[in-house]
Formats: sequence, C-alpha cells, structure tokens
Amino acid sequence: MIRALTTRRTELAPFLLLLPAVATMLFVVALPLIFSLWTSLTPYKLTKPNTLYDFIGLTNYIRIFGDWDFWEAFLRTIAFLTVAINVEFALGLGIALLINKITWGQRGLRTIMMFPMMFSPILVGFQFKFLFNDHIGVVNNALQSLGLTDQAIPWLVDAKLAMFSITLAEVWMSTSVFAILLLAGLFAMPRDPLEAAKVDGCNSWQVFRHITLPFLMPFAYIAMAIRSLDVARAYDLVAVMTDGGPAGRTELLWTLVARVGYDEAKMGQANAMAYVSTILSVLFTWYFYRKLVAARRYMGGAE
Amino acid sequence: MAEITLEKVVKKYGALGVVHGIDLTIAHQEFVVLVGPSGCGKSTTLRMIAGLEDITGGLVRIGGQVVNDLPPRKRNISMVFQNYALYPHMNVRDNLGFGLKIAGQSPAEITRRVAEAADILGLAPLLDRTPAELSGGQRQRVAMGRAIVRNPDAFLFDEPLSNLDAKLRGQMRAEIKKLHQKVKTTVVYVTHDQVEAMTLADRIVVMRDGQIEQVGTPMEVFNHPVSTFVATFIGSPPMNLLPGTIAGQTVRLADGTEVPVPDRLKDFVHDGMAVQLGIRPDDISPVGHGLSQDGPGAEVALTVDLAEPLGMESLIYTRLAGQEVQAKLYGPRIAAPGEVLTFRLALDRAHLFDAATGKSVRVR
Amino acid sequence: MTVTVESRASKQAKKVALWLTTFVLMLVMCLPGLWVVLSAFRPNREILAKPPVWIPEEITLDNFGKIFGFGAEQVGIPVGSYFTNSLVIALTSTVIALIIGVAGGYSFARYRFRFKGGIFLGLMLFRAVPGIALSMPVFMMWSRLGLVDTKMGLIIVYVSLNVPFTIWLIDGFFRQIPQALSEAAQVDGCTRWQAFWKIEFPLAKSGIAAAGVFAFLTSWNEFALASQLTRSTDSKTLPVGLLDFTAQFTIDWAGMCALAVVIIIPALILTFIVQKHLIAGLTFGGVKG
Ligand SMILES: Nc1ncnc2c1ncn2[C@@H]1O[C@H](COP(=O)(O)OP(=O)(O)O)[C@@H](O)[C@H]1O
Ligand SMILES: [Mg+2]
Repeated sequence: MIRALTTRRTELAPFLLLLPAVATMLFVVALPLIFSLWTSLTPYKLTKPNTLYDFIGLTNYIRIFGDWDFWEAFLRTIAFLTVAINVEFALGLGIALLINKITWGQRGLRTIMMFPMMFSPILVGFQFKFLFNDHIGVVNNALQSLGLTDQAIPWLVDAKLAMFSITLAEVWMSTSVFAILLLAGLFAMPRDPLEAAKVDGCNSWQVFRHITLPFLMPFAYIAMAIRSLDVARAYDLVAVMTDGGPAGRTELLWTLVARVGYDEAKMGQANAMAYVSTILSVLFTWYFYRKLVAARRYMGGAE
Repeated sequence: MAEITLEKVVKKYGALGVVHGIDLTIAHQEFVVLVGPSGCGKSTTLRMIAGLEDITGGLVRIGGQVVNDLPPRKRNISMVFQNYALYPHMNVRDNLGFGLKIAGQSPAEITRRVAEAADILGLAPLLDRTPAELSGGQRQRVAMGRAIVRNPDAFLFDEPLSNLDAKLRGQMRAEIKKLHQKVKTTVVYVTHDQVEAMTLADRIVVMRDGQIEQVGTPMEVFNHPVSTFVATFIGSPPMNLLPGTIAGQTVRLADGTEVPVPDRLKDFVHDGMAVQLGIRPDDISPVGHGLSQDGPGAEVALTVDLAEPLGMESLIYTRLAGQEVQAKLYGPRIAAPGEVLTFRLALDRAHLFDAATGKSVRVR
Repeated sequence: MTVTVESRASKQAKKVALWLTTFVLMLVMCLPGLWVVLSAFRPNREILAKPPVWIPEEITLDNFGKIFGFGAEQVGIPVGSYFTNSLVIALTSTVIALIIGVAGGYSFARYRFRFKGGIFLGLMLFRAVPGIALSMPVFMMWSRLGLVDTKMGLIIVYVSLNVPFTIWLIDGFFRQIPQALSEAAQVDGCTRWQAFWKIEFPLAKSGIAAAGVFAFLTSWNEFALASQLTRSTDSKTLPVGLLDFTAQFTIDWAGMCALAVVIIIPALILTFIVQKHLIAGLTFGGVKG
C-alpha cells in the first residue's frame, strides 16, 4: 500500500505568494515595454494618433543610430556614469575606512551619511542649482567675499562647468550608498584573517589590498547593484539644474528621450531611444547582480 | 499508545533521492537513536515523522494512524531542534506555554503545567528571562521543557547536544536519559555521535546513505556489526580491519601472517574467500595488559610506533600485516616507541567481513 | 622614554587629523541641505541681496505661509493639494507594496522552487527600467485607461516601482530568522499561517517597517514618472510642484526652499527612525545568498 507520490499544496505556495508581485511587474512594466517596443517600430506622434498603426520596421533605430545628437548624449551618459560611479566608489571607500577608524560617534555619523540617500533627486538638483546660481548662489558669494574671484563663475551656464556641477550633485547624492554598505562590510569583517596576515608579515597596505578589499567586494557589488537600479535618477538632476542646456551640452540619454518624446511629440523615435536606455540600465544591473552572486558564492566558501 | 512505524519511507528532492525506503518500528515508550555520518538522511527521516518534510513515498504511522498528510500540529509530537529554536521575543515562561496557549488551554492550566515542566528541568528561577539571557545549557533545558510541557505522544530530538561543549554535553546526555525515565514517552533521537547513541538508546538505528544499515540494541550493534561500516562507525577508537584470504582454517593476511578463523565463524567461510578481519583495539593488547586473558587467541610480536597514555590505559599505534592498527594497553604502564611487545589477539571477539560486499560473513 | 612620548604625540596628531577629515566630510554632506533649510526661513530679498547678507537679519515663517496659501503674500501654486496628493499616493502605494512585498519576500526566504534565482533577477531587472523610458508607454496606456492625472494611476506605477526592492529587503529580514522557529511553532500546534503571524512576523516587524519607509520615500521623492503622468491638482506631487516654481518668470528662491524643507523633513525623520534596520536589511539580503 505505498502511494507513488504525495503532492501537496506546499509546492504551489511559493508561486501563489509571488503571484501579486509578478503580476504587478508584468502589468506595469513588461506590458508597457512590449507596447514601447511596438511604438518604436512605428512613426507614432502624439499629435497624429493613427500613426501608431504604421509599421515601419527599424527605421527609427536606423535614424537614431545615424543621429549625432543621439550619440553625443549616449556617450556623455556613459562618461558621466563612469566618472560618477568610480568617484562614488572611491569616496565611499575612503569614508567607510575613515569612519571605521573612529571609535566615538560612529552611529551618528552613519545616520548623517544616510541622509543624502533619502533626498529626492529633484531636491538635490534644486539644492545645487541654488548653491551654484551665478548671481545669488552661496558658492559664488563665498568665493567673491573671500576675494578668490571677482566675477561670477557661470557654474550652470558654461557647458563644462555645468557637467561638472551635475556630476558633483550626483556624487553628493549617491556616495553614501557605497559608504554605508562598505562600512557595513568593515563592521562584519572577521578579525582573524587580518591578524593572520599581520603575523604573516603583511604591511598595512598589503593587508588592505589582499584581505580587506576582497572581503569588501561583495558589499561593493551590493552597492553597485542597488545603485544600478537608479542610474536614471540623474534625469531628475539634469531636468531641474540645466534641462540639458546650454545648447544641449548637458543632454543625457534620458533628457533626450523626454525632449524627443514629450516636447517634440515624436513618440516612435523617443521609444527607440528609450529602449536603448532601458537595455543599458538592464545590462548594468544584470552585470553587477551576476558579480554579486559570484562574490557571494566565493564568500560562502570561506565561511 | 504511541508506536511509530515507518513503511518503505522514501524522500526525494526533485530527482535526488535522500531516503531510500526505510522500514522501522519504534515501540511505545522506546528510546530509539538514529545515528550515522552527517548527510546520511537522519534529519530528513526525523522531519518526515514530525511532518516538517513532505513524504515522497511510503507510510508513516503514529499510534496506528497514518500521518502522511497530517500537518505537524496534528501529530501530537514535540521536537527539540539543534539550535533550540526558542522564540526570541518571548520569555522562558511564554516559550514553555506557547503550545498550550495555541491549543486553547486555560491560563490556570498553562501556569500549572509550565510550573510542572519548569520543576522537572530546574527552570523555575529562569522563567522571566528571555532566551538571549540564557547560557547554552539553559537554552537546551528550555527547549526540552517546551517539548515535555505538552505531554506529546513522542519526542523528536535532532542533534540536541551538538552545540554544547564536551562537558555540558555529558551532563545534558545524562539529563535526557533521566528525563526519559521520568516521562516515559516514545523518543526518536538523531545524532552523529556514536557515544550518545550507545549511552542513550534502547535501540540504535545505524543509517548510511539514506538506508538503514543495522538496527539493534547498543550491545547487539557493538558486538555483532553487520558490516564494516557499522563496525568502524560504532566504537571508539574504530575497529581495525585487515584484508586477507581464507586458507583452510586460517585467515592469511596480506603479508602471509596466518591467524586462525574464530570458531564461531568457521561455518560461514569457505576456502579462497577474500575477507577483512576485524578486531577492536580493545581486543589487541600486550600479554598481561588486556581485558580478557582466556578464550582462544593468537599471540604476535609487534613494534610500538606511538603510545598515547590516557592514565589507566594507553592507546598504542603499531603495524600488523603491513597495516597500521590501534591497540590498547590496560594498566598504568608506559610503552616506549620502538619497544617490541607480545600482543594477544582475542580472536573469540574478532569479526570477518566479506571483502567484496563489506557485510559480515554471518549475514547472508 | 622619549620614544613613547614621541609616538604618543604622533598618535595624537593622527587622531586630530582623523577628526578633522571627518568633520570636513560631514560638513560637505550637511551644509548644502542646511543652507537650503536656512534660506527657507529668510525673506527672498535677503537671499537676493548683493552684496550677500551672511548673517541672517531676519528669521521668518512667511515663506511657508506663502506656499501653503495663508499669510499676507501668496504664490499661485497649490502646494497644499500637492502635499495631500504626495501623502495619499506615497502612503497607499507603500501599504500595497508592503503587502505584496511581504508575500514575495517570504516566498523567496522560505521556499525552494524552480526558477527562483531567475524570478528574483527578473524582478530586479524590471526595477532597473529608467523611469522616463517607462513613462512613455505607461502614459500611452494610462491615457487609454483613463488613469493619466489620477492618483490611482500613479499609485499603481509606484507599487510596481517599490515591489522589487521591498522584496529584496524583506527576503533579507526573513532569512535572518531561523526557519526552525516557524517549524517549532508548527510542532507546537500552529498552522503555518499562525506560525507566521505569531513568530516570524513579530520578529521581522522592524525590518518590514524599514522596508516600508524606504518604499514611502521612493514614492515621495519620485519625479520622472510623476512629471509625465500628472497634470493638475488632482494628482500632482510635491517634486513635480517644485518644478512649477522654476517655470515662473522669476524664480521664487525662498518659496522653493520652503517647499524643499517640506519635502525633506519627512525624509529626514523617517530615515532617522529606521536607518539601523535598513542597513541590516540591505546587507543581509545581499550578502547571504
Ligand atoms: N531541501 C533540500 N534539498 C535538497 N537536498 C537536501 C535538502 N535537505 C537536505 N538535503 C540533502 O539530503 C541529505 C540528507 O540530509 P540530512 O537528513 O539533513 O542529513 P543528516 O543525516 O546529516 O541529518 C543531504 O545530502 C542533504 O544535502
Ligand atoms: Mg541533521
């Protein structure tokens, strides 16, 4: 009297529990993405609703890939992210190491560090727009009062300076993600390997390079993975600080999408660009998530 | 009456088989220990009895009733987990009373039974503490208290002592045994520690790779291991195994040394059979320093490689038939490395295993 | 003797340097925000003054009165309704995202099932889609469904924005609770549902609250989607409202600063309350596979 198999509801339970989450994501993200893909294959303009049904193949993609403005925004976005994230990582690591050294008031410092993370990007943008305003901004006022310069520096008007200011705002906003997670990594770091390395004759740089840093990498990848979910927040910064100006010199992929799609109402073309930006973000997240999983496995082996 | 029976119980995780058809009957009020190396499926088996793991095939009965499809709460069992699994947000009193409260007992009844269990385990002074404020041994006791307070049909223990240090482990082992004498209940106890198995069990179930290798009282399993696996797993230090061939009335070992086949095994062997001769270290002792001096034996001169004095006895490492073996020297005498001593092999307690299958030659 | 004195001195110097660096760092982190807050309490004319007025001569609440539509001066921007919209939208979307997230996070933490890693990664990748890219197709769909410029429209979007990360965090919190606790409760007589509510949920509570705060702030702060999916006082949120100020001919800096303070304050308070749990959730969910 042996029954071949007892199947229980428990095997369905995890899927049922996940159903609302998956359904929401499919409805609010996947479905629109499919719609967006279709739109990118049409000459759709908001002003001419019927154009949604003209299939024109890859024309939009061919057009944007042949468009220098697009490439400029694309490359600027890549450069911007590369610089911003590397600086954030380096600064975040520095801050984490610093705070790890401090024995008193660590908690308070950590809390303060979290604040920029919780700021609305639009607020960060506004804040730096306010600080960097050439007439009334506190930065110029301070520089002039101190006699370091006698004329107003056009922080948000000059193309190079504007890009610098935007990057600065981004770094200010996002460094704490790295600092906090790397600090958590330092707190979690076991003493034994450090002491073993010291006994083995490593100097402090070698200890850092061969013990501390590898241990911190999974934490860095968590930070990168979290950060990668939100890279497009830079849109908010630019939208409020320069709106892509002057003369499109701070245009990023995301602001370009908004301009082409909403201001010029060329939805077909904008969706093609949006797809490129989506793929960029997804690849970025995917890459760091994979790194995280790999690092985790490697850490698991050490435990 | 809470007899637990397992009939051809199978557990698979996907395609991976973990338990391959276990048949076992645990009598009412019996203390059964499942023992085996880590990963052999002991916990899985126990958890199938508890209802924490789905049963892929076969039947589990508790008190005659098939419980395959009953959730844990309907099986009237209680369990002590390896890491105690005390509810961290409740104090000891609430931990103990939780099951009763869920069962809808009156506050007065809960108080009475918690006090009773606390009394048995000496937990009364700790009732208002939280688990975080307890030592390892105290947590262990609370976990046991939580198990007994509900008066279950059976106790299930999953390696309850493995997180304690050696001394405490010994103490708690004794407490569990006393507890079982006080609260006569069926117990299924899982451990990988053969000492716990030997000391606690009414019956030992030796498991290997998801199968039962041998079932028996501690003495049966110790004296009549059915396989080299059981022989080396139960008993410490493990039994020595020496490969050889049957030649007439003797076992010819690898280097040509001949040892007579023990009388009681003569009927089970035939000429030319490849065997392994098993002798426990306790049964290889220098003449005059062994446990038993009478009965059939063989004497052989061996060189001491290393001696580990333990006080009233020493563990001796030597070589027999080209293979390292461990021997015991009883008495407060130090053996020096290099010393040659005449050892007596107590052959009446030796074992023979079929080299091809690893099974005792007595098992057909 | 001299050696120890010297090394003590250099140690002291190192300590001072450490503190100094930290101090400067914190200043850089705090000053921009503090300057905005300070400006919110100053009259616009003082902000615009040339040469600059460094020491505030006048501290006033007028800017707040102005943006919320009471007091002598008023701005033509209905900050009050933006505030209500933001609150309603953020709270509702948070509650829904938490319910969905607790279910999903529990599923990831407690069950093994097929495609688990794939589903988790899939959720994260959906979260990575840039808001502005998503806003276009959602805008087109929502116009057909009549959801543009409604609170409901934004709430649905924010739920999906928050679900993946909420799941990540809550998965982490549940995995910090040993599975044996739920099992012990089930042996003790609970159904799985009871075991969840009596044991696992109370233990994960503070973590879930932290995840909720994070979700709330994500909704509260969001701009890219809100700026395209809202049109009027029916649904416009505070971040979109902030941009209203720049659209005006002259920028009302003091008003904007006051509005900024209104947006910041809840963020600061909530962050302060949950920061400890939030860090624990982030790291645990990430590091332990
Ligand atoms: N949920 C699971 N999925 C797959 N394999 C499992 C699972 N749980 C346990 N196993 C495997 O089943 C085998 C038996 O496990 P277990 O019963 O815990 O062994 P032990 O005898 O040490 O208690 C092990 O090899 C383990 O890896
Ligand atoms: Mg086990």
